[in-house]
Amino acid sequence: MSEPRADYLPEAIREKLIHDPRVAEQDLRVEVQAHRVLLGGNVASPQLKEKITEVAKELLPDYEVVNETTVVSAAEPDSEEPVS
Amino acid sequence: MIRIAAVGDLHYGAGSKEILRPSLQHLHNRADLLLLAGDLTRCGGPEEVKILADELRGLPIPVVAVLGNHDYHADRQDEVRRVLEDARVRVLEGEATTIDIDGVRVGIAGTKGFGGGFRGAHGSDFGEPEMKAFVGHTKTLSDRLDKALTDLDADLRIALLHYSPIEATLEGERLEIYPFLGSYLLAEAVDNAGADLVLHGHAHHGAEKGRTPAGIPVRNVAQPVIRHAYNIYTLDAGRQVLPAVAGGIS
Repeated sequence: MSEPRADYLPEAIREKLIHDPRVAEQDLRVEVQAHRVLLGGNVASPQLKEKITEVAKELLPDYEVVNETTVVSAAEPDSEEPVS
Repeated sequence: MIRIAAVGDLHYGAGSKEILRPSLQHLHNRADLLLLAGDLTRCGGPEEVKILADELRGLPIPVVAVLGNHDYHADRQDEVRRVLEDARVRVLEGEATTIDIDGVRVGIAGTKGFGGGFRGAHGSDFGEPEMKAFVGHTKTLSDRLDKALTDLDADLRIALLHYSPIEATLEGERLEIYPFLGSYLLAEAVDNAGADLVLHGHAHHGAEKGRTPAGIPVRNVAQPVIRHAYNIYTLDAGRQVLPAVAGGIS
């Protein structure tokens, strides 16, 4: 990607990740510190987490990508909630 | 007692296969109904929703869904709907369905809903055509929800949405994006028509529990919020239990 001003770089990365069909994730947190990109937020699967790292590295080959996103559990709940 | 399993924001796409299936295998022992609160796909592709539909196909309990904003992204929402319906998932948009569960009629009215904001800070359909279209869409869908709920003849009534009707289940999200996460018009529709439970998704960083201004329970079942394959809510049908007849009538 053509690099925007540093002030706008996190938002530019976030937009690219939203519009890349391999990711399409609107809730990622993006921080840029010098030549490191930190990614945070929740993702649905380990495969998606890996894909996010791959796409971020494609976008910013000169940056170190640190993917701190959390894979959300899809286990059965332990209990039920009575609602009234 | 009716047991409702619910989840939203599954965001199925390439690599999602089998995420839900292990947790669905025994679902029929724990729930009478599965409700899906939109954003079933990553980019709205029929091939994405097919992965989910294949996991839902053959479930021995009814499945009812609304679509979410992601399911509209490819502008192929009609195809997405058809793929789900081919797997016997009932998809609602401004519509309602009634399901008989052991003699209890459970009515579900569903819509994607849309944004606008909340009381005291809601957008108006005033000014540019884009603003009129934005708020007008919310008004149209809220009116349809009101009618669909009002027309339901059921013992229990559930509103199934993607966008949030209240602010309480958005707590944790940034305040600046509330207008893109829901609208009070959805809550007003529910409070006008009456319901026993409102379910929604969309707000991944929100909170699970809240109530409409009239006191109807609201649950945000976005999967990143509930952090399970689904949550289960039980509702008392409140049916009057007639005394057993002893002996003949003279």
